[in-house]
Amino acid sequence: MRLVVADCTVEYAGRLSAHLPLATRLVMVKADGCVAIHADGGAYKPLNWMNAPNHLTEHEGSWVVTNAKGETLTIVFETIHFETAHDLGEDPGLQKDGVEAELQKLLAERTEEIEDGLELIRREYPTPIGPVDLLCRDREGTTVAIEIKRRGEIDGVEQLTRYLEFLNRDARLAPVRGLFVAQEIKPQAKVLASDREIGWVEVDYELLKGIESPALRLF
Amino acid sequence: MKIRAERDDLADVLARAARAVTTRSPLPILQGVLCVVEGGTLTVTGTDLEVTIRTTLEVEVLEEGRTVIPARLASEAVRKLPAGAVSIHAREGEVEITGNGPRFRLRELNIDDFPQISEPDTVGGSSVDGPAFLKALSQVGIAASTDEARPILTGVLFEAESDHLRLVATDSYRLADRILPGVITDASGLVPYRALKELSRAIGDPKLTVRFGDRDAVFSSDRGTLQVRLIEGTFPNVSQLFPDSYPYQLKASRAELLEAVGRASLVAEDHIPVRFGLHTGGVELSVTRQEVGDETEHINADYNGDEMTIAFNTKYLSDGLNAIDEDDVVLETADPLKPGLLRGAESEDFRYLLMPVRL
Repeated sequence: MRLVVADCTVEYAGRLSAHLPLATRLVMVKADGCVAIHADGGAYKPLNWMNAPNHLTEHEGSWVVTNAKGETLTIVFETIHFETAHDLGEDPGLQKDGVEAELQKLLAERTEEIEDGLELIRREYPTPIGPVDLLCRDREGTTVAIEIKRRGEIDGVEQLTRYLEFLNRDARLAPVRGLFVAQEIKPQAKVLASDREIGWVEVDYELLKGIESPALRLF
Repeated sequence: MKIRAERDDLADVLARAARAVTTRSPLPILQGVLCVVEGGTLTVTGTDLEVTIRTTLEVEVLEEGRTVIPARLASEAVRKLPAGAVSIHAREGEVEITGNGPRFRLRELNIDDFPQISEPDTVGGSSVDGPAFLKALSQVGIAASTDEARPILTGVLFEAESDHLRLVATDSYRLADRILPGVITDASGLVPYRALKELSRAIGDPKLTVRFGDRDAVFSSDRGTLQVRLIEGTFPNVSQLFPDSYPYQLKASRAELLEAVGRASLVAEDHIPVRFGLHTGGVELSVTRQEVGDETEHINADYNGDEMTIAFNTKYLSDGLNAIDEDDVVLETADPLKPGLLRGAESEDFRYLLMPVRL
């Protein structure tokens, strides 16, 4: 990872042209070759960028980044304030929130907590748009795709809907029905799930983990 | 449809039927009550599809017919009119409510959208003493859960036995069990407590009739009917939760205990239990909350058993004490981790099983 903080102008030429006037910016060059120019604001989106694969040519006072489509990004440095490079090593990837990953593990071991008679086919079953948390088979032999969230909100239902669309294209699995599982599911998410004929189940994480509550139960 | 009736009577039938109407319903039509005028009687029906309340009133009929009017607005409108005769006239999409001057003109809801509430498939039907039945329901209702994630626990179980009716509710932390001796009925099923809570205000009367069908329970009186969909599923086998015998027994004044628990709960709030130090001569109540302080007191009482400390959730305990209808109560225990049984000193018709809190 190479970082340059500099007063610079940036010209992009390709499908359209764009110009960033002179200002202080952060230029990032990542190990895979991606180049991104950031202002001092916004969470993630650069002002301009060029994805890898590309070719970076360093000239005196300027860089020219070119890709296979012939698009160019020209950065002209007025003053360089800071420059560093650091090898970040291999990234382990985005880890799911601890509770969510733990929930998936616990529920994979105890699918009966979700629905009686469910049998696990596979955890993290791959689809072209990402893995679905659990793929199971119900008592009648129907395939069930299960999305697990800590908090069940509308976007989780949307995500499961997309998985179902892909899974149902697979003749070996279809018909696939969906189950949305969370510790707590928002009313809007329940309505949306029901409307799409997706079932939903709220599970007690602490109970699944066998955490002993001081409040004892009769059964 | 056109009728005339006394303001208070009309406001009453509308408001009681409106108790089944929920503002949370996604169907706009369920914000309305159906008014049907036939043969000298106005019948008002409110429903949320699970609970349906029908009320009736003898009225002066000027024109028979039917309409659906916004439940809360119409009943409030009638209630706020000057005392005396009030008339309701539905025509051409409007309902006119007038009485001694003021006039409301409300938009009718589309009567075709109002759900057809089928008369329940019921068998038999038993007459019960209204106040005693409602009292019993309120005694067990305290233990019913409000957590819709486990619908079975939100109900009161009706179990018809040879010479009595048994009512049971539990949220898994406590269980209330009430026998109504002499009530012979074939009523068996699991009835949502949220519906039973409405019985008293909606149709409460000295005489009530209880009828159970396969899918519904119907409670009726001269003031109307409340029909409710039964909860499907199997209620936990609760009879096995009652130990055969309890070795230790505390007998104390209900009022003294209730007051002491009330004081303890000031410090405890919901989540901190009150400790009962049981010993010959009575019970030492104590509660400690680290960031606040503590409270202790002693109650003189009869205690038979080994010295023992057991702790209870203050709310659950005071719910149970409040439900008992006697001067003295008995708390039976076996072990600090096993359920305690709370009941009146004289009668075992009401039993309240309460799980302790681990110390």
